[in-house]
Amino acid sequence: MSVATKFKCLRCGHEFDGHYDPKAPLVEWTCPLPECKSNSIRPMKEKKRE
Amino acid sequence: MMDAGRHSRVSLMTLSEVEEITGYVGNFHVKVRRKARYVDSGKCTACGECVNVCPVLRPDEYQSGLSTRKAIHIPFAQAVPSSYILNMDDCLGNNPIACGKCAEVCEKDCIDFNDQDRIEEFDVGAVVVAIGMDVFDAREVPEYGYGRYQNVIDSMEFERLICAGGPTGGHFVRPSDRSRPVRIGFVQCVGSRSRVHGAEYCSNICCMNTVKDTLLLGEHYPDTESKVFYTDIRAFGKGFEEMYNRSREEGVKYIRGLPGEIEEDPATGNLLVHVENTLTGELEEHEFDLVVLSVGVRPPKDRDRIQKLLTLSKTPSGFLMESHPKLMPVDAPTRGVYIAGCVEAPKDVKESVCQAGTAAARAGNLLSAGEVTIEAYTCRIDAEICNNCGQCAKVCPYHAISFVKGAKTPPTVVEAACAGCGTCGSECRFGAITMRHFTDQQIEAQIDAMLAVDPMDQIFTFACNWCSYAGGDMAGISRLQHPASGRLIRTMCSGRVDESWVLRAFRKGAPMVLLSGCHFADCHYIDANRQTVKRVLRLWDKLEKLGIRPERLQLEWISAAEGQKFAKVFQVLEEHRLRVTKEEIEQTVKVLEEEHLKKLAREAKQAAKRAEKTAEATA
Amino acid sequence: MEQARIGVFVCDCGLNIASTVDCGAVALAAEEMPDVACVVRNKYTCADPGQNEIKKAIAEHGLNRVVVASCSPRMHEPTFRNCVEEAGVNPYLMEMVNLREHCSWVHTNQKEAATRKAIDLVRAGVARAGLLEAQEEAQVPVTRAALVIGGGITGIQAALDLANGGHQVYLVEKEASIGGLMAKLDKTYPTMDCSI
Repeated sequence: MSVATKFKCLRCGHEFDGHYDPKAPLVEWTCPLPECKSNSIRPMKEKKRE
Repeated sequence: MMDAGRHSRVSLMTLSEVEEITGYVGNFHVKVRRKARYVDSGKCTACGECVNVCPVLRPDEYQSGLSTRKAIHIPFAQAVPSSYILNMDDCLGNNPIACGKCAEVCEKDCIDFNDQDRIEEFDVGAVVVAIGMDVFDAREVPEYGYGRYQNVIDSMEFERLICAGGPTGGHFVRPSDRSRPVRIGFVQCVGSRSRVHGAEYCSNICCMNTVKDTLLLGEHYPDTESKVFYTDIRAFGKGFEEMYNRSREEGVKYIRGLPGEIEEDPATGNLLVHVENTLTGELEEHEFDLVVLSVGVRPPKDRDRIQKLLTLSKTPSGFLMESHPKLMPVDAPTRGVYIAGCVEAPKDVKESVCQAGTAAARAGNLLSAGEVTIEAYTCRIDAEICNNCGQCAKVCPYHAISFVKGAKTPPTVVEAACAGCGTCGSECRFGAITMRHFTDQQIEAQIDAMLAVDPMDQIFTFACNWCSYAGGDMAGISRLQHPASGRLIRTMCSGRVDESWVLRAFRKGAPMVLLSGCHFADCHYIDANRQTVKRVLRLWDKLEKLGIRPERLQLEWISAAEGQKFAKVFQVLEEHRLRVTKEEIEQTVKVLEEEHLKKLAREAKQAAKRAEKTAEATA
Repeated sequence: MEQARIGVFVCDCGLNIASTVDCGAVALAAEEMPDVACVVRNKYTCADPGQNEIKKAIAEHGLNRVVVASCSPRMHEPTFRNCVEEAGVNPYLMEMVNLREHCSWVHTNQKEAATRKAIDLVRAGVARAGLLEAQEEAQVPVTRAALVIGGGITGIQAALDLANGGHQVYLVEKEASIGGLMAKLDKTYPTMDCSI
């Protein structure tokens, strides 16, 4: 199932919201900042709530 | 056109689309959808009785919508095949109450309302992609009023209006009142050479097309007053400059500068063009009866579909990418596939014909040779080491590894189906797969040797052969300067890159590691580079766990055409590299050395266990 | 595996490489690399004299591996594979190192750094070459037919050329008639003849 996920660009550090479903076919991720456009995009795992 | 329809060795399939192409150079299998025509083109004599009774009127696409056609129609008078077609979206249907008139009058009985799409399959050795171009939609430039002002037309509509086979029988009239326009303005570069509307590239053909149009008008109506607004007139081909000069000598005015705006006088339908003449610097106003927008060339809509079918690449402007801009201008990056015509870049008729001939010659060479050599990049599975987990078969994009769950025999490789991406090799956790010519040992030796001296200065890079490595070549051919810290290792696909290689590079002291491959749509091994992403995600997690900044591993998709992106990536990563301290690298090396020793111990244990088992079996 | 005897051929490519990379320094460094039996510097390795030097060195030094440090393998890998094969060495025992597209052409103003990079690339190439194995290529038959996608002027011309050359052609057009965009034109430049 596709879940709202935070993504982080590991090149410029920009964080943005998106959807990610680990079971669905992957799509090409690109940093939305026009001056960056890096593909080093990491979906961030939710930190466990205390 | 007639020749192609008649040739005994040409199977003509109109109203058809290629749905699937599988296989490899010399051995492609093709599936074509032949759409229902509802008229048997073999029996149809093009008598036209059906058209007379058809009650449905629709805009005629061939005439740019300037006249009408019926639901049943012939695309144009000289169409090949010379047969009618029934457009079912327009047809009222074969219901006696609704209609069915055409079938009643057709003496040959060639109308079949129940006609259906058919799938035809065949084998070929070579493929020529010649899917052409689209025309820029001038509505995207609102200040010129195309679509709002009747007397602003585009160059395709001009062709129909001046043509003897056109909606007006060649009588050149303007749309608003069907009067003959005398003062005619041509606006160049509509959708071309612009960073605002359309595209940055020059569409190549529009200057000469307009020159031709002005001469045609002069020929038909010597009292025409044509004015052309242009950026530069590009008349570079054989006989072009002479033609341009002739147009000037015949009195056509060429005004340097593109109009800022076109206004319509609602009372007369005439148009007022505001332009800055860039030669004099003056603001000018010109009144016209008709304005023709010289629209540019756009990549064809079908490009994405065909690109995907054949794993081709495109340039930043959207046209298909050739293997080498000078030496292999019609060879696609996929062997056995050739590209020609406007889908490669905007070009005129003569150049299209030349390129078609070149593509045919290249394809013909391959077919005539009768045999083709396949590079020896295929994988092999060592049955003794294999643990029979089946993971390799799961990731193979070509289903070239046959694996039966629960079977005692290890998976086997169908060599003819293996394309050599090597993603199975890096997926195997047991080291049971050997990727020929790109073995683990060979690559590891490269990593060690590269990082043997001053590893701190290196951005250690794995690049796939087809896109990223070629993107580096493109940066070279274009002389795009960037920092000299990049050190590339080439594999056929980024999917070949083993997680352990990345860790090895860090262990040997690399401050930054870059993994780069093709954009998803360009992957030369269908979708093998999706495995690359999965591995990078796992690696980021692992690095983080080991206290190594994940940012030190970067992932980029760089196509063969993206020399600029290639250079930019290294410029940016150089800043990253300079931020990695000596202490940080030392810490990384220490942590990874410990990990490595643990792994060696694990492997030794496994090997001992295996040896024990074999000993038991023999005993 | 037999003991590797590697020959390294460093190409100046006229001035394309040599004006940025110190090819002499690269050659000197290569001599110190493991299993390197001989190092030759060429003005143009791809030209006949250059290729002849490779063949000569294979014979003279009993080379069983060849490293050509010149341009992109995407450019000249087939050239040098053929060259070593003619000298009796399996084509898969030849390794190319890209000193031009990936180095000299893009680091024009960083001569020293470019030379260091070139030496690193050659060292990696030599290490890899030592472990290369001979491979046999598969020969597969070709289906003697072609698919032409698109029935405009280009597709029609390509189909006719192929058909006239004796090949079976499938010409696939999505519209109801072939002719494409050109069939919609009235006259075409520069000679003003009819388009259909």
